[in-house]
Amino acid sequence: MVKLLKKSVNHIFLLGYLVVILFPFLFVLFSSVKTDNGAISSNPFGIPTEFAWDNYVKAWVNANIGGYFWNSLWISTVATIATLIIGSLASFAITRMRYNKLSFITFQFILLGLLIPGNALLLPIYGILKQLDWLNTPMALLLPYTASAIPFTVIILAAFMRSIPSEIEEAAVIDGLKAPGIFARVVMPLSVPALVTVFIVNFMSNWNEFLLANYFLSDDTWRTLPVGMVGFRDAYNTNYAQMSAGIVYSVVPVMVIYAFLQEKIIEGLTAGGVKG
Amino acid sequence: MNKALRSPITYFLFLLPALVLFIAFFIYPVIVAIYYSFTNWNGFANYKFIGFDNYIRVMSKADFWASVKNNGFFILFSCFVQVPLIIFFSLLISNVKRLRGLYKTAVFMPSVMSTAVIGILWGFIYDPDVGLLNKILGKLGIDPIMWLSDEKWAMISILITNAWQWTGFYIVMVLAAILSIPKELDEAAMIDGATGIQRALKITVPLIMPIVSVVIMLSIAGAMKAADIIIVMTKGGPAGSTDVMTTYMMKHSIASFKYGYGYSISVLIFIFTLLITLAYQFLIARRAERIEY
Repeated sequence: MVKLLKKSVNHIFLLGYLVVILFPFLFVLFSSVKTDNGAISSNPFGIPTEFAWDNYVKAWVNANIGGYFWNSLWISTVATIATLIIGSLASFAITRMRYNKLSFITFQFILLGLLIPGNALLLPIYGILKQLDWLNTPMALLLPYTASAIPFTVIILAAFMRSIPSEIEEAAVIDGLKAPGIFARVVMPLSVPALVTVFIVNFMSNWNEFLLANYFLSDDTWRTLPVGMVGFRDAYNTNYAQMSAGIVYSVVPVMVIYAFLQEKIIEGLTAGGVKG
Repeated sequence: MNKALRSPITYFLFLLPALVLFIAFFIYPVIVAIYYSFTNWNGFANYKFIGFDNYIRVMSKADFWASVKNNGFFILFSCFVQVPLIIFFSLLISNVKRLRGLYKTAVFMPSVMSTAVIGILWGFIYDPDVGLLNKILGKLGIDPIMWLSDEKWAMISILITNAWQWTGFYIVMVLAAILSIPKELDEAAMIDGATGIQRALKITVPLIMPIVSVVIMLSIAGAMKAADIIIVMTKGGPAGSTDVMTTYMMKHSIASFKYGYGYSISVLIFIFTLLITLAYQFLIARRAERIEY
């Protein structure tokens, strides 16, 4: 009996935490189908009496969700794949090719990147992009996104590639493969688990990135979803029902992906936290 | 045997793209920032060196130090409010078997979402008229609070939102450490008659100190990085009361083209972050010895 009571005390605290996390989402979900601010204000906690589904239609058009979603998707994907290719080439050279001293120095040099706080780079990179006249073009995000993920990517991939036994590549050498062949046909296929982890972490940080996207693109054409949503909020901040529908649009895809890839995402992000 | 993997050209070509990007977006910006921070560069071709003028100007401004203090609040809030909560909740989750998966999934969820959307969501919750928080307080008979537009409340409102987003992330990290502690230690203490609370405080907590130390390091790094949440929720207002160094820097450089001045703040962010990290490493983290089971 006492034991049962103790267990339920744990659950009471944890369920309290759960409510604090989940209730805001529920609040937004309910608000998104209410007719206007008055309806939200008079019945903030409950399920609406009248369902105003057209909030979703209006928000989709007014917030340009489709356009921003597409920008976020292709910019994040291209930058993530570029990092993956560049990072795995470098990791292969550092860990598998026989230039140990040079590789050690290169690796330490790239590790320096972890010491440099990203916010200190924000303004200098802005200045550099401005001089190159790249502000307001997709390049203003693609290049910094690709570059900023390199240290983390090289650390994770190098650690993984180092653990591949050298017998495997010796066999490949006997079969007549040169370094690029060993990279593409032996080491890369074996590194898929690490590549997946790095892909998820980098993609999510690009997808959610706000600071650079906010300052480097002032034009609406290339805006990504986070910045677009903030712009929508600023324009429609008197209409919370519609804004809630916008929030639902941007939260649901992430939640669906999280539901499917949960284990991999948690593993990757916490590894990224520890290493990065 | 080694011939295939000793090809200078291949080696060079494989490393080249990574090194070019790394130098262009990490090393070069730092050099640029240091160089121009000693000039009055305003985006045009001609500029002149003005020594430490920019630094003296920044450091003599009260509102700059107010923004530094806000970064400090982020650090203090995570060390003294979030870390105890993280330890408490990860102990609770490790203690239950049922629903453990659900708790883990749910507490981690906010950290996969974009800070921008979370800022918007909480802006709605904090809204004085229709927001959730004032509605709840209203039920308890408390007068509405202007969460984000009152200088007294704006900073704490942001800190709470930030904690709401990131606490779960660290809980999952600490939970993994707790679950990897060998069961025998706990069982031995149980046989010796230690109560649950004694076991948690005397056995589990000391054993997870290394990971807690990592959590504090990451929180400090996060506190120095926080800026997006402020731009989304208050834009540094009301009256600059929620500015952190980064938002202060952007506010006082881009719009007025005072790049030299802004770069000196960049360099200060760099120095302050490094100093705090090193101070923590040498003063505190070193004492948390490595523990072998």
